[in-house]
Amino acid sequence: MEIPLIGISIWTITKVFFLVAIAIYVVFAFVMVKQVNLMTDTLEVDFETSIRIISYLHLIFSVVVFVVALILL
Amino acid sequence: MPDIFVTENKAVEEKTKSSVKPTETGKNFGEKGTSNFLGSYCYYPRNVHFSVQEPEEKIVLLLRKHPITNVGWILTALVMAVAPIVLAKFPLLTFLPARFQLVGILVWYLLVVAYSFEKFLDWFFSVYIITDERVIDVDFVNLIYREITDASIDKIQDVTVKMGGVVRSIFNYGDILIQTAGEVPEIEFEAAPRPDSVSKILRSLIVEEEKEKIEGRVR
Repeated sequence: MEIPLIGISIWTITKVFFLVAIAIYVVFAFVMVKQVNLMTDTLEVDFETSIRIISYLHLIFSVVVFVVALILL
Repeated sequence: MPDIFVTENKAVEEKTKSSVKPTETGKNFGEKGTSNFLGSYCYYPRNVHFSVQEPEEKIVLLLRKHPITNVGWILTALVMAVAPIVLAKFPLLTFLPARFQLVGILVWYLLVVAYSFEKFLDWFFSVYIITDERVIDVDFVNLIYREITDASIDKIQDVTVKMGGVVRSIFNYGDILIQTAGEVPEIEFEAAPRPDSVSKILRSLIVEEEKEKIEGRVR
């Protein structure tokens, strides 16, 4: 399916939209890691390591989704 | 009804009861030296430190919002997690190619994780701390904005406990308003568990601080 006059497939536009959205999400996940660091610096309760690991896993997962989207779409 | 005629024995008994300092025993305010890091009411918590803590400052009470306040976002997260499975029964997204559907579902679950994790972090790190010197309110308003408000115990002028509603009465939590004579006129502990005990602890700390002033002790 192509958009008239431009000649670009609608799926190409959807793919770009998906990739931009996921890229923004990766930035958000990175900010979240920073936020967790700020929070664990503010309050130390012997649980920081687990929370930091979760935030890093979330960042890794979002990067993996970006790569999957880049390959699959 | 108030007792008009009180026997001498009863009066002595009541006097003895009121002279017992609950802060010294710790029995009336919960287990002393709590190490439950997920607790919402930690009396003399162990292994807890905060960024603006002074070397000799001791944490008397660490409070978070009552765990029941988390039910809303937990249910929302569960509904969000189940939504793709339920929606798969209806042909709503069939116009999309399979690869787009797969990536869409992955992005959706990323959002669910982010939402749940954000809500948990907000609950876990937005704490109210009562030390032997100060009252501290740590708030994380959004992703990177942090607000730490504190007031000295000797600046506290009034402590108001607000409890209302069925849920709050059943689970014994409420708001505590601390009016101070400092720069920050009011510190609010929202949805704090066992507000009566918190208010009692604050009062006993105020009395202790006044005694220190009279005796001329620094700490």
